[in-house]
Amino acid sequence: MSERTQVYLKERETGQLVEATLIDGVTRDDVEKAESAWRPFLEQQLKRMQAEGVPKSRWPQHRHWDWREKQESTELYLAYRMFGIESSSQMQGLMLVLTAGKHARIESQRGRPLVYIHFLAAAPWNLASVVDEPRYTLVGSVLLATAIHLSLEEEFQGRVGLHSLPQADSWYRDACGMTDLGPDASVQNLRYFEMTPKQASEYLKER
Amino acid sequence: MLQVTPSRKTMTLNLTEAEMKALEELSATKDISKTAVLRQALRLYQMVEARIARGEKLFFEHDATKQKAELMVL
Repeated sequence: MSERTQVYLKERETGQLVEATLIDGVTRDDVEKAESAWRPFLEQQLKRMQAEGVPKSRWPQHRHWDWREKQESTELYLAYRMFGIESSSQMQGLMLVLTAGKHARIESQRGRPLVYIHFLAAAPWNLASVVDEPRYTLVGSVLLATAIHLSLEEEFQGRVGLHSLPQADSWYRDACGMTDLGPDASVQNLRYFEMTPKQASEYLKER
Repeated sequence: MLQVTPSRKTMTLNLTEAEMKALEELSATKDISKTAVLRQALRLYQMVEARIARGEKLFFEHDATKQKAELMVL
């Protein structure tokens, strides 16, 4: 069952905040619709990047993510929640989180439960690494704020953890104020980031 | 504040003294309410059950020795 809440994204062209819908409980149909728009757009842009000689290191590192597979493999589990943001009748971003079995690593919070962000992505037309002029900004910020709100409601006090792809490291560290706990050998050496209750509170205050 | 939790239903739970003690200890250690502990337990149990039903096994691995021990799930 999915629930819908109003949120706001920033339309880059006009600089205005525009209404969007946060979907809690993204359905198979939602994901199908998203992927059928995201995939061809992304493939077209990757062809362009290849033709222009853009080095592969600058291609989006999550280009292989298959949201259909992620939704199908987790939809029956209570522990997983999938969120999406829709605007202009198109999915602008998706996030899959785990709400059980993950615990904080930061010393002051060690062993206490947190919301773990498994996957978070904006639509390819919102990515500065893909297009010169992204359509909407704030997609990632709203999804991260959603994870923090969920953490608060789960009594996790805002604690959030995630493994970041290298292209997103600086965003989580510098823009979101998460603590960088360094590369994690158990997860492809991706850097592990965590947000304490204090950092979560500051993040929400600033937005 | 953004509301991201669906509406909930209430139930009464009967536990032995030992079970209640374990629940209280987990609640204190994890710094969450007893209800939140049970919610966590249910989510994990449901996932474990589903994966075992698919023919998978549940193991614990020792961080240092990498020794694995299968966890029996009823």
